[in-house]
Amino acid sequence: MTMKRMCSALAALSAASFAIQANAQDTGPTVTISGFGTAALTSTDTNDAEFIRPNQASGVKKDWRTGVDSNFGIQATVKVNDMISFTGQGLVRKDAIDHYRAQAAWAFAKFKVNDEFSVRVGRMGAPIYMISDFRNVGYANTMLRPPAEVYRQVTLDSFDGVDLLYQHSFGDTSLSVQLGTGRADVDQPAQNIEFRKMLLLHVVAENGPFTLRFGRAQADFSVVDNPTLTGLVTTLRTVGLGSVADMMPLNDVKGTFTSVGGTMDWKNVVLQAEYAMRRTDTLIVHDTNSWYAMAGYRFGKFLPYYYHGSIKQKSARSVAGLPTSGPLAPLGAGVNNLAKAALQSSDAVGVRWDFYKSLALKVQVDHIKPKDGPGAFINYKPGFNESVNVYAVALDFVF
Amino acid sequence: MDKRIKPLLAAAMMCAALPALAAEIVVIVNPKNPASRMFSEQAAQFFLGKSTLFTPIEHTEGPLRNEFSQKVLGKDSAQVKAQWSKLVFTGKGTAPKEYGSSAEVKKAVAADVQAIGYIEKSAVDDSVKVILTVQ
Repeated sequence: MTMKRMCSALAALSAASFAIQANAQDTGPTVTISGFGTAALTSTDTNDAEFIRPNQASGVKKDWRTGVDSNFGIQATVKVNDMISFTGQGLVRKDAIDHYRAQAAWAFAKFKVNDEFSVRVGRMGAPIYMISDFRNVGYANTMLRPPAEVYRQVTLDSFDGVDLLYQHSFGDTSLSVQLGTGRADVDQPAQNIEFRKMLLLHVVAENGPFTLRFGRAQADFSVVDNPTLTGLVTTLRTVGLGSVADMMPLNDVKGTFTSVGGTMDWKNVVLQAEYAMRRTDTLIVHDTNSWYAMAGYRFGKFLPYYYHGSIKQKSARSVAGLPTSGPLAPLGAGVNNLAKAALQSSDAVGVRWDFYKSLALKVQVDHIKPKDGPGAFINYKPGFNESVNVYAVALDFVF
Repeated sequence: MDKRIKPLLAAAMMCAALPALAAEIVVIVNPKNPASRMFSEQAAQFFLGKSTLFTPIEHTEGPLRNEFSQKVLGKDSAQVKAQWSKLVFTGKGTAPKEYGSSAEVKKAVAADVQAIGYIEKSAVDDSVKVILTVQ
């Protein structure tokens, strides 16, 4: 989709949503259409590797492209009465398949039990991270994109199941708790992941300018449709390396993701930080600790900001006792490659400019340093390990 | 004041956007609402979607809304919009209904026991109950 088509689509939809709201009656079911999007251009200073957002099949090099940071979402809510509502959201972006495609991000029914409890059934946003639910809504965020060091740890946007929302105020502090369970199938560029027996907890406490958030997600996951990986495991068993094969189960692997985060928006000072720990029982999905911290200062309509993000691997980056010579050496090297998490750190500066109602313009430059390997870059030249600057300009809108 | 001059003057004020000339704002609820007074921090919770106990009624963008946002919510209208887009696009909340005048906001509050709104003090009558005067 070109930028031009995106903009004209936006204009048409803005007009449509206005008309629908104007015609909505105060009695009976009401329909609300709203939407969000980002029209962006992204490039880097290298042709040796491609920069991507987590889970994208292709990225950018020196040529400016729209694909990495642009998206478009539209949401419809039908409120039947004070108790029951239905919400659907569609999202168009470039993801695991190398062209723009529409996904049914969410489709759920919400039952409001009372002022504090609601139950939702259907496909809902998976609250893995602090800004999970609105990370695709550029307008709702300060940064141009979520820091990859943390946000590429679990590439899961939504789940199918049921969740319970609880909201209560204790004096000036409001507490919201989301507890969900269900399943999810996630397309990745070279494989698919099936999450089962998911348990998701998301607790947010807000007091004036401060927000604190705790999250815990756990699931049994399986890596499917990856013939290279299943072939490798079979070969390991055939050549007598069954003990190594046992270190990389592909089915019903227990994984957990635990994170804490906080934000502050006080007297023009804007802070946001998260720390997250991923733990799994398989060699190929690494145990990692990752974090980022952002600081910004609001000068009227301008909000310049800086962030630093980093990731460390807690599990071993190589397997002891693998053959390093002879005919099995490539096999050993392959396993050791799989054991390595993509390590990197980022320093980024950017500015958000709220130049017009419902529109924000952002410019961001990231300096990414891969460590012991190519980092999170893809389609890299052999031996690629250099620092890369990533440049992006984005126009965020909501309607 | 001459009726023809008043809208012109209002328009001129809007263009100049002089907050110093803005009218005194009061927060109102339905007379059947048991609440009798409220702090502005409490009122802010409804207009920022942090509590759903009361249903907020908003004004369309303009000087009155800007003044209320700055004084009671402590944010400018873009920040308030960003806050609501977090709630709306997570399916957790619905943005407040917007009306173009204090008379319409008053009518909406008078029609809904759960509603909370704000209007110019001069527009208050028996159909609504004042629970906070914005300082």
